[in-house]
Amino acid sequence: MSSGDWTRLKALFQGALDQPAHARERWLRDAAAGNVELLQEAQALIDAHETAGTFLDEPPAIEVDDLLGLTAGSQIGAYRVIEEIGRGGMGVVYLAEDQRLGRRVALKSLPPPLARDPTFRERLRREARAAATISHPAVAVVYSLEEIDGHLLIASEYVRGHTLRAELARGPIDDRRAVAIATDIAKALAAAHAAGVVHRDLKPENVLITDEGAVKVVDFGIAHVEGLEATRLTRDGGLVGTPAYMSPEQLAGRTVDARSDIYSAGVVLAEMVGGGHPLSSPAAQLPTSLAPIVQRCLQHSPTGRFASATELLRALEDVARPGGARRSGARWWWEFHQAMAALTYWLMMIPVWNARGAIGGAAGRAVFVATLAAVIVAANLRLHLWFTSRFYPGELKWLRARVARWIHAADWLFALSLVTGGLLVGDEGSAVTILLLAFGIGAAVAFLVIEPATTRAAFRSSSK
Amino acid sequence: MPSNNDSRPQFHLMPLVYDELRRIAARYVSRERPGQTLQATALVNEAYVRLASERPREFQNRTHFLAIAALSMRQILVQRARARGAAKRGGAPQRVTLDDASAGSTPPASIDVAALDEALTRLAELDPEQARIVELRYFGGLTVEETAEVEGISPATVKRQWAMARAWLKRALE
Repeated sequence: MSSGDWTRLKALFQGALDQPAHARERWLRDAAAGNVELLQEAQALIDAHETAGTFLDEPPAIEVDDLLGLTAGSQIGAYRVIEEIGRGGMGVVYLAEDQRLGRRVALKSLPPPLARDPTFRERLRREARAAATISHPAVAVVYSLEEIDGHLLIASEYVRGHTLRAELARGPIDDRRAVAIATDIAKALAAAHAAGVVHRDLKPENVLITDEGAVKVVDFGIAHVEGLEATRLTRDGGLVGTPAYMSPEQLAGRTVDARSDIYSAGVVLAEMVGGGHPLSSPAAQLPTSLAPIVQRCLQHSPTGRFASATELLRALEDVARPGGARRSGARWWWEFHQAMAALTYWLMMIPVWNARGAIGGAAGRAVFVATLAAVIVAANLRLHLWFTSRFYPGELKWLRARVARWIHAADWLFALSLVTGGLLVGDEGSAVTILLLAFGIGAAVAFLVIEPATTRAAFRSSSK
Repeated sequence: MPSNNDSRPQFHLMPLVYDELRRIAARYVSRERPGQTLQATALVNEAYVRLASERPREFQNRTHFLAIAALSMRQILVQRARARGAAKRGGAPQRVTLDDASAGSTPPASIDVAALDEALTRLAELDPEQARIVELRYFGGLTVEETAEVEGISPATVKRQWAMARAWLKRALE
């Protein structure tokens, strides 16, 4: 509406008001002088006026709680509020100055509708206690828990920077940086888990990136503290956490442990390198070096995931050093052993073929088939281990745990088949007999003694 | 959010007013049960009595104080309405307010303060004076005479402008 129209509408409305109620309609029609639109508008306003009743006459009611929010310039205890810097369903964060110490702090309080709810107040207290037990550069330091004028506040380190969410919104993050951020997250989680705290709401909003590029994990708001009577409190509040980042067991409301955070970290990592939430964008978009780590984090069953943040950290560190610069000599030797064993196993099929002819009949075929089956399993799984160790080191430990039993069984079958074949050939002086017996016993010695030794040496640090 | 209209000379006093409102509320917190509502205007008056005695120089003029308080109250109520909306979306537990029970014989139809705030912002573009009058009268609880004094216009004009603004807002909220 133009200002001219408004002025004329005002004149019509106020002119009509000066008329007695029954005469207003006619007065308006005359005064509008054929301007239908204006007439309708004025008539509608008059109708609204006549039916307004007590509209806006009653002063608004205000809940006491609603006054508890802080605002820029507020003074609360020794803190002067500078500005609101974040707001979510469970907390409002202000930048404030602690005037006793002359430093800036982040003040977290409950949003007004929850500010007096005892459950949420207890939750905020627990957050402070949980975060205060963790001492790590990647976790924002809690300075104090304050109760001033009915306000419950957590004063913590003010992190100048932005959230990972904001960084994600700006576009894809390159893989190296994503791995560096994920590594810091894993370190923060490891420190938290070591202190007995499970974060339970890890998501890009709760990962701050300082202006210097360092990572700070914040908001232990729904953290579960081992040993404290914690589960009931959060369960009463219904589903707490952010569903997109919650592990299946957390979504199902079952007990969660550190491995639930590993799941959330996997979602965050996938989002950083894949450009979207892993459940909505296919894993094929992930870089090949990181896909196994993400898949491992996102295993439905907690037992399928990395067993600890430290393990996740190791896997990420391995990725961060391509070509295995840090790879130990023992690890190289173990890989060599795997590759050579696979090669030797396959080469042994040549004398076994000869033995089949020498033994003849069903027995010869049985020895051949048994050896072939053993070689297929033992040699190929070893090649797979070798390949994984070279190219997907983060996956190795998990893979080893899964295939160890099969390799062991195939090794036994291989050694027994060779010895049986050697004995069945029978001719004591024959080269085939000697070869089969020697390699059968040699293989047994290798997988019973040598291989466990190289494996222990190669994985000593990470197999704890 | 209402614009921080710096043309009002007393604007820098807003944090003081806000803090006083907050302190009064904090005292209620310790003795009332959760969900207790207060009349915004009663709260504003209580804040005035306190501030006028503590800082007579800044707050010698009651109407000027009320004008600031009206703006504070609008911000507080709108923030509350938005936070409520966010909390609902976030699945926070619902609580029953006592508005209806405490309002006396005829409970007023509840007004969506966030929607009112938006409509008021639109009205301010058409007619800043009408919007200010609504802010003063509704959020600050000023009488017609007090509003006239703050705005420097006659009480009769306040009444006419108020009537039209009220009708316009009622349509805007339907």
